[in-house]
Amino acid sequence: MFRYYITLALRSFKRNPGITTLMVVAVALGIAVCVMTLTVYHAMSGNPIWWKNDRLYAVTMDNWGPNFPYRTDSKLPPPELTYKDAQYLFRSNIPERKVVMYSTDGVVSGASTAPAEHVQTRVTTADFFAMFDVPFLYGSGWGGAADDPAQPLIVLSREENEKLFGGANSVGRVLRWDDHEFRIVGVLDSWFPRPKFYDLNGGSFGEPDSAYIPYGWGSELELLNNEESDCWKAEKIDTFRDYQGSECIWQQMWVELPDRVSRRRMQSFIDGYRAEQRKSGRFERPRNNHLTNVADWLRDNKVVGNDNRLLVGLAFAFLAVCLINTVGLLLAKFLSGATVTGVRRALGASRQQVFTQHLIEVGVLSALGALLGLAFAWIGLAAVHQLYASAHLGRHGGYQDLTHFDVVGVVWAVVLAIAATLAAGLYPAWRVGRTPPAVYLKSQ
Amino acid sequence: MSLHVRPILSALLRNRTGAVLVAMQVAITLAVLVNAVYIVVQRSEKIHRPTGIDVDNVLVIASAGFTQRFQIVPSLEEDLSWLRGLPGVIAATASSVIPLSDGGNNNSLVTRPDTQRDEYYNEINVDEQGLDALGVHLVAGRNFRHDEINPPHTKEDVSSFEPQIIVSRALAAHLFPGQSPIGKTVFDILNHTTTIIGVVDPIMGCFPSHEHPDWVYFTPRKPSSLNGSVKYLVRTRPGQRDAVIRLAEAHLSKSNPDRVVDWVRPLTYFRNLSYLDDRSMQIYLLTVTALLISVTCLGIFALATFNVSNRTKQIGTRRAVGARRRDIVRYFLAENALITSAGVLVGCALALGAGYWLSVQYSLPRLNLYYLVGGVLTLWAIGQLAAWQPARKASGVSPSVATRTV
Repeated sequence: MFRYYITLALRSFKRNPGITTLMVVAVALGIAVCVMTLTVYHAMSGNPIWWKNDRLYAVTMDNWGPNFPYRTDSKLPPPELTYKDAQYLFRSNIPERKVVMYSTDGVVSGASTAPAEHVQTRVTTADFFAMFDVPFLYGSGWGGAADDPAQPLIVLSREENEKLFGGANSVGRVLRWDDHEFRIVGVLDSWFPRPKFYDLNGGSFGEPDSAYIPYGWGSELELLNNEESDCWKAEKIDTFRDYQGSECIWQQMWVELPDRVSRRRMQSFIDGYRAEQRKSGRFERPRNNHLTNVADWLRDNKVVGNDNRLLVGLAFAFLAVCLINTVGLLLAKFLSGATVTGVRRALGASRQQVFTQHLIEVGVLSALGALLGLAFAWIGLAAVHQLYASAHLGRHGGYQDLTHFDVVGVVWAVVLAIAATLAAGLYPAWRVGRTPPAVYLKSQ
Repeated sequence: MSLHVRPILSALLRNRTGAVLVAMQVAITLAVLVNAVYIVVQRSEKIHRPTGIDVDNVLVIASAGFTQRFQIVPSLEEDLSWLRGLPGVIAATASSVIPLSDGGNNNSLVTRPDTQRDEYYNEINVDEQGLDALGVHLVAGRNFRHDEINPPHTKEDVSSFEPQIIVSRALAAHLFPGQSPIGKTVFDILNHTTTIIGVVDPIMGCFPSHEHPDWVYFTPRKPSSLNGSVKYLVRTRPGQRDAVIRLAEAHLSKSNPDRVVDWVRPLTYFRNLSYLDDRSMQIYLLTVTALLISVTCLGIFALATFNVSNRTKQIGTRRAVGARRRDIVRYFLAENALITSAGVLVGCALALGAGYWLSVQYSLPRLNLYYLVGGVLTLWAIGQLAAWQPARKASGVSPSVATRTV
């Protein structure tokens, strides 16, 4: 019976090619707009390290001035720590892994025939790679001992390695970073977490780092944070030493805490440190120390802006109109074919069978609409990609990688399309089943 | 034969479903149309705010020294004199920041020492050609003199302040309301004093996305190499910009082996990047709204066609008893008008509701009623247009149909 209904459906389409095309296109458009918007939304708000969401925590303390808060729109503390706070907290043995880091830039030269080039560099402690599950193509990171005193070791991103060495295994080779010799110990595989959750300072979709060097070089070479540094206090900052001792925030800190117990202990540790520091007059603001997991961190820092939510709302409004349209067109189509239905009812088809037959027709329609819709969405996303690419956001980084389907996205898009259209077809299918055949068997 | 609305209405009410569906589409479409156009216009206004900068003719060169041999002061002098010597160049300066790029420095200034500091203003460091290199107009006071330009900060000396600054008119009005700021002193975070020697207007600084992008002040200081690359801001004569970009790239990347030129880009690149989200939003809104209107048109057309094809016998009968072609057309257009009006009515409520909600979410001013009126008229016109062809087709039904039985 099922195959018979499919045949009937296809025959019905052939009889009314115009209205069928219109319906399929309308459904496809609605699906396309929704899929596009949701793909971008999902990519922008997704948690790129969701499997470690309950293990990784950003460490923040509120060292800000007593007269006014750091943020006016929320009660959250500044997103970075002062140098001395980061140094102290880093000494704790409570976390399974811990990282203190910041972004700077330096010029890479002497590697090959490639010209000297400014690269975004992360100054970080050794645990960075293991904590954030960063994949390596060649070699590995450095061990904790290489942070202090700082060893001249460097890790390159895959892209940087392509530029300098044509993608070859460059482990062991030497290059100059800001005119100091560094030995390459590792090359990363392609890694673009979206959003760049561990460092939102350069914008949520900031440029990925091209190189990583041990943390001790920050002090050694007096490297400044080139993304975000904020100071509130009127204090003398003439030298780098002064800067390290100041109330300026410029250090990022993350810890890996495997369970609740260690999390509680870490929180106490931080609170205890603050209490101690208050004795010397620091931390005049109310206690506001946080350990924030990645999902909350993204939410707190407003990674998905209002704009995106608006677009999602609009996409659903559009889908609603497309579906209402489809209901109307289906009604029209089914009721105009009511004479045929009338004959079938007269020949013995039950209401249930008529309903099923029409629902299957709707199902075929929705499958076609879903497929076409996905095709439209793919084109649409390519257009979005083009829009951002043409703003010269660079080969990587920026919004380029947002505009790709993921398997999950495709699956729920298809499910959404078929479910929505089936829902839209329920009423027309029921209506046509209800009409008494006699009405349509009589001459008009 | 005059047009009576009652019969149309009662006929419609007996067969509501199609009409209700179309009315719903019209309602949602109106709500979306009105608010989308409003947001698009708002964003346009935001993008076209005056910057005071000759954006189309300014280019930015990023240069970074990296060897131990590199010396910033001679490098700046050499590069700037070369740039200023180019025939197409009006003025060139060196700064640590790029205007309109949503990246830069903010510092605190107050009018009395030791007062509470909770506001920060955008600081742009330049030399005596700075204002010219951006094309910004001085409306009061004077520009910096060559001897007033301070050397770059060094590692031993990061916090000294400059004795003179030039402020924007907006910032002057904020710090010294109703007075002329020329000659007045302000204090930096370490309570150093500085005197305001000039006022510029209009000007947009480094942060178009901030609440007060025009709270800007210029300082006479050469950029240091402490915090990334030096930015040369160069203004060219109209039409010369791209040629100068090519020349600069070719020459400067080779002229000094101790430094690297990261890139040479037009200022429009940075401005467009800062407004990319707004532009994309506009494109998205307009596209979806256009699609929405098409789909609704389709729905109206389909309903009208369906109604016509269902009622050929009735049409034929009316023609047989004397209705003219245009009476039939008017009948169907009137029926369509009733449905559209019902949709528009509900749509108005939806539009106002959505508009109110958006103004709360986005802290925008409330929806201007002109948009609503415009939306209503547009949708009404579109509705009539969509129903026009089926109505014409209906009028073509021959009266003889009335006498047939099938």
